[in-house]
Amino acid sequence: MDNLHAHTITTVPRRGCRRLVGLIALVAVGVLAFFLLGPFRSRLKSFPVYRFAAGSTVGFVSAATSPIFTSVNPSFLDSVRAFFLVRTNPTQPIAFTHKVHLKNGLQCVACHAGVTKGPDAGLPSVVFCMACHQVVDTSSPQIKKLTAYYNKGQEPPWQPVYWFYPMEHVHFQHAPHIHAGVACATCHGDLSQQTVAVRSKNLTMNFCLTCHKQKGASVDCTTCHY
Amino acid sequence: MKRRDFLRLSALGGAAVPLGGCGKRAATQLIRFIPKENLIPGIAVWKPGVCNQCAAGCGLQVRIMEGNAEVVENGQLGIMLMGLAKKLEGSPQHPVNQGKLCVRGQAGLQVTYNPDRIQQPLQRVGARGSAQFAPISWDEALQTLATQLRPLAVAPAAAGLAFLTAPLHGQRGVLIERFLSAFPGAQLVPFELFDDNVLRRANALSFGYDQLPSFDLAHANWVISFGADFLGTWNSPVAQSLGYGAMRQSRSGVRGKFVAVEPRTSQTGANADEWIPAHPGTEGTLALGFAHVILAEHLGNAAAAGTAGARLAGWDQGLPDYTPEAVAWQTGVPPATITRLAREMATTSPALALVGGAPLAHTNGLFTALAVNALNALLGSVGKPGGLYFTPPLPAAFPQPGGSPAAGAAPVVALAQRILAGQSPRLLLLDQVNPVFATPPLWRVRHALEQIPFIASFSNFLDETTSLADLILPDHSSLESWVAEIPESGTAEAVVSLAPPAVLPLHNTRAMPDVLLALAQRLGGRSAAALPWKSFDAMLQADLAPLRSHASSVAATSADDFWKNVTAQGGWWAATPPAPPRLPANPGPPAQPQAPQFDGAATDFPFYFLPYASQQFFDGRFANLPWMQELPDVITTGMWTCWVEINPQTAAKLQIAQGDLLEVASQHGTLRAPAVIVPGLAPDVLAMPVGQGHDQYGRYAQGRGVNPLQILAPQVEPATGSLAWGATRVKLTRVRAGQGELILYSGGPTELSKQRFSR
Amino acid sequence: MAHRWGMVIDLDRCTGCEACIVACHAENNIATVGAKEAARGRAMHWIRVERTWDGEFPNARLQYRPVPCQQCDAAPCEPVCPTYASYHNADGLNEQVYNRCIGTRYCANACPYTVRVFNWFDPVWEKPLQLQLNPDVSTREEGVMEKCTFCRQRIQAVEIQAQEQKREIKDQEFNPACVQTCPSGAMVFGDLDDPASQVFQLSRSLRAGTLLTELGTLPKVIYLQRESSHGDQ
Repeated sequence: MDNLHAHTITTVPRRGCRRLVGLIALVAVGVLAFFLLGPFRSRLKSFPVYRFAAGSTVGFVSAATSPIFTSVNPSFLDSVRAFFLVRTNPTQPIAFTHKVHLKNGLQCVACHAGVTKGPDAGLPSVVFCMACHQVVDTSSPQIKKLTAYYNKGQEPPWQPVYWFYPMEHVHFQHAPHIHAGVACATCHGDLSQQTVAVRSKNLTMNFCLTCHKQKGASVDCTTCHY
Repeated sequence: MKRRDFLRLSALGGAAVPLGGCGKRAATQLIRFIPKENLIPGIAVWKPGVCNQCAAGCGLQVRIMEGNAEVVENGQLGIMLMGLAKKLEGSPQHPVNQGKLCVRGQAGLQVTYNPDRIQQPLQRVGARGSAQFAPISWDEALQTLATQLRPLAVAPAAAGLAFLTAPLHGQRGVLIERFLSAFPGAQLVPFELFDDNVLRRANALSFGYDQLPSFDLAHANWVISFGADFLGTWNSPVAQSLGYGAMRQSRSGVRGKFVAVEPRTSQTGANADEWIPAHPGTEGTLALGFAHVILAEHLGNAAAAGTAGARLAGWDQGLPDYTPEAVAWQTGVPPATITRLAREMATTSPALALVGGAPLAHTNGLFTALAVNALNALLGSVGKPGGLYFTPPLPAAFPQPGGSPAAGAAPVVALAQRILAGQSPRLLLLDQVNPVFATPPLWRVRHALEQIPFIASFSNFLDETTSLADLILPDHSSLESWVAEIPESGTAEAVVSLAPPAVLPLHNTRAMPDVLLALAQRLGGRSAAALPWKSFDAMLQADLAPLRSHASSVAATSADDFWKNVTAQGGWWAATPPAPPRLPANPGPPAQPQAPQFDGAATDFPFYFLPYASQQFFDGRFANLPWMQELPDVITTGMWTCWVEINPQTAAKLQIAQGDLLEVASQHGTLRAPAVIVPGLAPDVLAMPVGQGHDQYGRYAQGRGVNPLQILAPQVEPATGSLAWGATRVKLTRVRAGQGELILYSGGPTELSKQRFSR
Repeated sequence: MAHRWGMVIDLDRCTGCEACIVACHAENNIATVGAKEAARGRAMHWIRVERTWDGEFPNARLQYRPVPCQQCDAAPCEPVCPTYASYHNADGLNEQVYNRCIGTRYCANACPYTVRVFNWFDPVWEKPLQLQLNPDVSTREEGVMEKCTFCRQRIQAVEIQAQEQKREIKDQEFNPACVQTCPSGAMVFGDLDDPASQVFQLSRSLRAGTLLTELGTLPKVIYLQRESSHGDQ
């Protein structure tokens, strides 16, 4: 009797546990199948696409030219990243150092000329860089890289450091912020201490709203999301 | 538990992998070329342009913003930051469109950025017509064409070179004429499906102006249109729409009345206060019926109609053949209506009559046009406020294409006949035309063109005609080109619409005028002498220089300044003196009453067939634009498809339901398309939009619908040789119930089907 | 100063040319869905031109009516949105916030004018058509509702400019794309709260009325009736 009782007690939980694990696995497979084959199946395909930063037209492009452009994420992994708003610091083709340039008296606006005029700060063309670097510091390996691009008629493939995913539907306008007296360092950190630009501030919506509320600027949704 | 720990760890680990991300994306990116332009990102720049979608010559403002485009530079694929055209708007100061733009003008962006554009020169590799081409360099292409052209420039034999192109307007036409002048016996073959040559001829006979009319609708109080889709596809639609809106509601307490005479409710006719469905081809008779009443009741003076009246037999006698009863019998319009409308138009001033489109596409088209012209003259609308007038000419010192600006179908028919009789030109150049699509098969245009030894095309799309070419030298799109158009109508000022390219070329294409200039230089001799300019804009600048001395909207302190201001404004315009009327020396006898002739006996073919210029495709040229394919048709809401319009009573009698597949047969062909029930359609008329049924022309147009022109009889209007596309009769059979061939835009809830307004 | 953006559409001037539809597509990055989806009723036109037939041949008459989002002051689409993606802003506009939208489609269900369209799939543009896309307007992804916004991006641009220049927005300083292109001048846009504006003047016309007024949605698109649709017969 004792043996039977003990047997019953010990086997039931083990079988139930297996059933539970099996059920969880089934549900997980089902969820996975839903995501992969259901509404998100388009995201499985690796569409090499353009991705727009808010208001700007600088974006990532893939070498394989697909005949299709969609505005959303090129691959499933990218869409997962977008969902969690993961933004990593990119690798730049040339180790451009803000510290050195700012120390030598260059203003932000000199290179990012669009910042007082419109939505995008913009990046300077290699032609602009070469205006000085034809003669300045030409022995440096970074400048040699720059010159190589210039001589090939190409722009260095700068990677955006601050951008919004298309699904955030953010239209950020630099010019009104500059005109309202917001310093570059407020959102982009103190670049006089940075070499290659990194995301020194986490530009979440909360970050924006805090300042907007303090300054009495509009916190209406469609001020930024339209 | 070990298993659970394992599961937990692997789940977390697995999730971390995609979230980690790598910055290695740089390695897979395309190279970026140094931009050629200096634009500020995110800021729009507005540049002047000229709309090339129809011949109205409206002025544009093109919104340019910086963007990344994939381009090929020196054989390498890469990204270039360049100015991209984002939106087209009408230019506010342009006299023709005054800041407005029509539906086809707005769609012009999709021509430049169309995926099916030809992107580099091509040489035929397969059999002719198989549409198999291989890319070649521009050098090779120019060399090949120059080699073909050279013997034709020196040979004294005639008919070596033929140039098949759209009707010559503006400086592109001037350039083509100059180019051809170096080739003895070269044939210029202008072609247009929906030409208005019958009206031009009538205007020459009635008023002394071989030109399309303009209308002061804004000041008119009573307007009658005989079949002219003047708010949609006909003549100068934007200028006419501007005038129409003003006619209706811009004058306090005054609202102009609009009457439409047509067997099918067109987009324009739907706006009419009264809609009169006269039998097809009897519109001229109806116009003279009105004139008869006006003369009989002494509401107008026969002599006041002058030459225009004299062109009609019986005018001076008060048009005895056109009593209301006689006219009612021919046209199907009740005598009481004829009398009432005649009295209204004669006593409401200014009154104006328009005629165009289907009524002129009959064997008696010229008679109809002369009749309406006479009616206008009787109403006193010619050259008066609220009436019709003719756009004044540009100063004589400004070079323009010689001869008649358009020549419809007759030249291409004549060309085809010559070729089939054994007299083929050695070389055919094609530019901006598609006669293989837009002519009835019985004219054997395709068969004829296939006999020509060498065909070179400048088209930037592979349409049916260009697919027969041996060599393709693709043109830029109009936004990438210097464009100079001279509006024939729609403005009270003389206008040259002129604009530089708004965007850099996206593909390895070259402006056709520049290609002709380069060829001329290569050929040397008379060719080079006829075209001494390095580029098209150099020629434009030279041609425009004489205009500087005329008072205009363009102030200039120097020739360069003048050119700068003209190009910045989008053209040159000025009030110039109207041209003196030039009546033809031998106008022929006055026109006798003429009934329209139809192909097909009424017993066997009980329906009139009406293929009409569609809003979205016009004559088929816009079928490759996705916006136009998805635009719900104005009358039927059809998209991505074509259809046969049928009257509800007729449908009920033949037991045809909406969407059923119908077979329409003329004496010369059959086609099948789904039925759409249209209440505003005469019971004995079947109508179809023109534009679908391409077998080439890109992914959006190809293999979609049917081309109603394929079953047309080769009837012509005898005086001008224009295709009488309204002169075919057909019979109808129901094939089966619909299986989804018809796609309608289901817009609006059913509650809104009745107009319910309240304050 | 708060505005109350509204529109007057004069049905006596409207010619049914549909230029407004294509201008809207070009300005607002509206997707072309293709024949298959269009056949399922999923074409995405933010403004449509309705046609209504009245009578029988030979007296069958056709009336055009352009219908954009009516920007109702008592919009039925707003209270039904579970995520507050559809809301009313201070300028009287019914705004759609794409990133809040989770695609329940209750708003489209509630709208009596059926002006809302849903992205059943990610929009695709066959290259290089995407070069024409307007950078000032979001491209909406699958699962998001969209509708006419009275060209929010144009309103935004003018508001920023006016704010920086410390002045009010002038009447006719800007127009939505449809209004700007309308060849017969049938559409007029402006601030209904500004008594000097054209749209205010026209909205007082004896011909003025709104659609489905009895539902109490307080639409801000005012239609001026055609004066006489029938002849003197």
